[in-house]
Amino acid sequence: MRTGSLEMESFRLAAYTVPCPCYICGGGNTFDSELCRHCHAPMALAHQATTQKIQPRMIAAIGPSGAGKTVYLGMLTDMLSRQVDDLQMLARGAFSIKLQQHAMAALARCEFPNKTPNEPDRWHWIHCQVLRKRGKPAELIMPDLAGEALLEEVDHPNTFPVIHSFLSKCAGVMVLIDAPSAESGQSEEDFHTMKLVSYLCELVSDKKTGWQSRPVSLVFTKGDQCENCFEDPTAFARRHTPGLFQQCRERLKRHRFFAVGVAGAVGFRNESHGRVHIPLRVEPRGIIEPFKWLLDELGNSSGG
Amino acid sequence: MACCQPNIVESWACIATSAVALARPRQWPLGMTVMRRFLTPNWILAGAAPLSLLLGWLIGQFSLGAIGAAGALCALAIRNPNWRPSRGRKASFSEESPAQMDDWSPPKNTPRPPTARRAPADDGLVEQMIAHGREALLLRPQIAANLNDSDLAAAQVALDEAMAIVPQGVVNMRARCYEDLQEADAPRGERLVQVEGFFLDRYPITNGQYQQFVDGGGYEQMSLWDESIWPAVLGFTDQSGQPGPRYWRNGKLPAGKEDHPVVGVCWYEAAAFARWVGKRLPTDPEWVKAGCWPVTTDAGRPVQRKFPWGDAMDRRLVNLWGNGVNDTVSVTASPGSSSVGGVQQLVGNAWEWTSSTFGNWEPVGRKIETTMPLKAIRGGAYDTYFDMQAGCQFQSGETPLARKHNIGFRCALGFCDVVLTSGGMDMPAVASPEQEETHA
Repeated sequence: MRTGSLEMESFRLAAYTVPCPCYICGGGNTFDSELCRHCHAPMALAHQATTQKIQPRMIAAIGPSGAGKTVYLGMLTDMLSRQVDDLQMLARGAFSIKLQQHAMAALARCEFPNKTPNEPDRWHWIHCQVLRKRGKPAELIMPDLAGEALLEEVDHPNTFPVIHSFLSKCAGVMVLIDAPSAESGQSEEDFHTMKLVSYLCELVSDKKTGWQSRPVSLVFTKGDQCENCFEDPTAFARRHTPGLFQQCRERLKRHRFFAVGVAGAVGFRNESHGRVHIPLRVEPRGIIEPFKWLLDELGNSSGG
Repeated sequence: MACCQPNIVESWACIATSAVALARPRQWPLGMTVMRRFLTPNWILAGAAPLSLLLGWLIGQFSLGAIGAAGALCALAIRNPNWRPSRGRKASFSEESPAQMDDWSPPKNTPRPPTARRAPADDGLVEQMIAHGREALLLRPQIAANLNDSDLAAAQVALDEAMAIVPQGVVNMRARCYEDLQEADAPRGERLVQVEGFFLDRYPITNGQYQQFVDGGGYEQMSLWDESIWPAVLGFTDQSGQPGPRYWRNGKLPAGKEDHPVVGVCWYEAAAFARWVGKRLPTDPEWVKAGCWPVTTDAGRPVQRKFPWGDAMDRRLVNLWGNGVNDTVSVTASPGSSSVGGVQQLVGNAWEWTSSTFGNWEPVGRKIETTMPLKAIRGGAYDTYFDMQAGCQFQSGETPLARKHNIGFRCALGFCDVVLTSGGMDMPAVASPEQEETHA
């Protein structure tokens, strides 16, 4: 190379002329984008789908802010990575372990993980392979969506394109509901969850392929604080979230209620920025069942 | 409390207590309990003597009454050929005092697995109480004074089999957040606590043992329960509405789980059981001392174990999450997990209630608030996820009224609460520092 001149390397520009579609929203991106410039989903999902020739299915964990989505997903992935109930989860890509690492590090310190920020570029995504003793391995994508962003999108559709695109393509969903709030008679929890279910049903309304016929597991979280929900989650839903219960009965063909708990008991500490909840111990309960049911339902719907 | 060697004064006291209790409808359970406890052949014969005298005096035939009383006493003497009046046996440890037992070694007697033993119906009260694991009551100074030597020895052997000794000494109690504290702040997160010597059950209380409490009317004996909790006792029922732990049915323990730790009992039920057997719940420092087994070195700072068997978790020894069981197991299932003092299964299987309040060791400014005061629980359970949370130093808490699927308990007993002799307890004599110097 001679001093003072710059080689064009024009062949490199060619790569930029080929759009690389995002796996979530389908928007065009350059080959070296880390996040989709349209929806902020990681482009690694698209690269993995292309290079490994796999078409992962998507599962969402949705619910109002503070329902426990991050804790649930973190606990679920950690338990599945240790193999439980004949299920074994293998992460695809280092980014898929971040949520597990973040949530479990916090729980091990007897803290709950920080609230998921509203900015989609800061969300954790999981792309994994779930091995089962019976049935084919399942390729799944599960993001940790922010509760406030979800409700914002529900109230003002297309505020968060990533949520809109993702929930449209999802094969199944886990709706998380704060059981102690529901039990204490706060109808907010009922309303928020009804909004989410209603949003789903309107999002893809086709009777055969829409949310009416896709599997939905409705999960009461924080069961350690109201043990009743473990005994009969459906009866608990009928008693404490009657609106949601009726809506599910009328509009969702494949749904089931579950109850889960991660912390055995909870205390709190008053800090300068407000009350911080603290898990007094970690003893997961019912974590796998909603996911396993969803997986079985997905297997049934795909003929496998 | 009763023993099987009655005297006339006690029999009158029994009759009077029963009569007074039965005369007041609210005290019928107490009256029935006293009556049931004293309706043994020995007590009936002992009661017949004064009654016969009284009857003779009332009908004006005092000689007939005297003959009846003499007959009853003869029958009593024939039934109990070895009986002799007690001579004010003193509550003592003979040469050794509890405070001198730092160098204690485990007893030679084989520990008795905590199976609920069934006593023959015609056995005396002492045998029945020992069979029900209530030997600690017999060893109370005021009761032991009325026992004969063989009964006293039997009670002491039973206590020795059922409970391990934890010697007196200091224990380092650490805050939950101790590991997160800066080095300069670390002293704020730990506190040395002096613990007096005590006995601790070798095994957690089993379903079988708790069944005897339920069958013995423990839920009806209001004297066993804190007065503040009386209104709630009616609600301490099983799946079928019968008094008993939450996960039982029809007042019976779950099939095949006789030797599993009893769970589904709240703190008050645990405390009532402990009173019934003449013991108490261990305090939080006592529990930690039994598990960590601190050894004070020359530096003056106790060296403590993280787990009863050492400093590293060995998942083969304990029933925690991920072991594939996902339920309680027998309390004798992991003999390798015993503490230095011979206390079994302190870690895993079921959390254990202590008598202390949760959060006592948290430093100022890091206190954990709860909507109501919690009781401290220790040891982890079959669904505890993190190894560290099953360690001896980890304290968790639970509402005292909670009847959880994974919380049980074991009982403790202070040295000073019972009468012990060196013969019964196999205690080595401990020389005083002066004696050691003389010997050297």
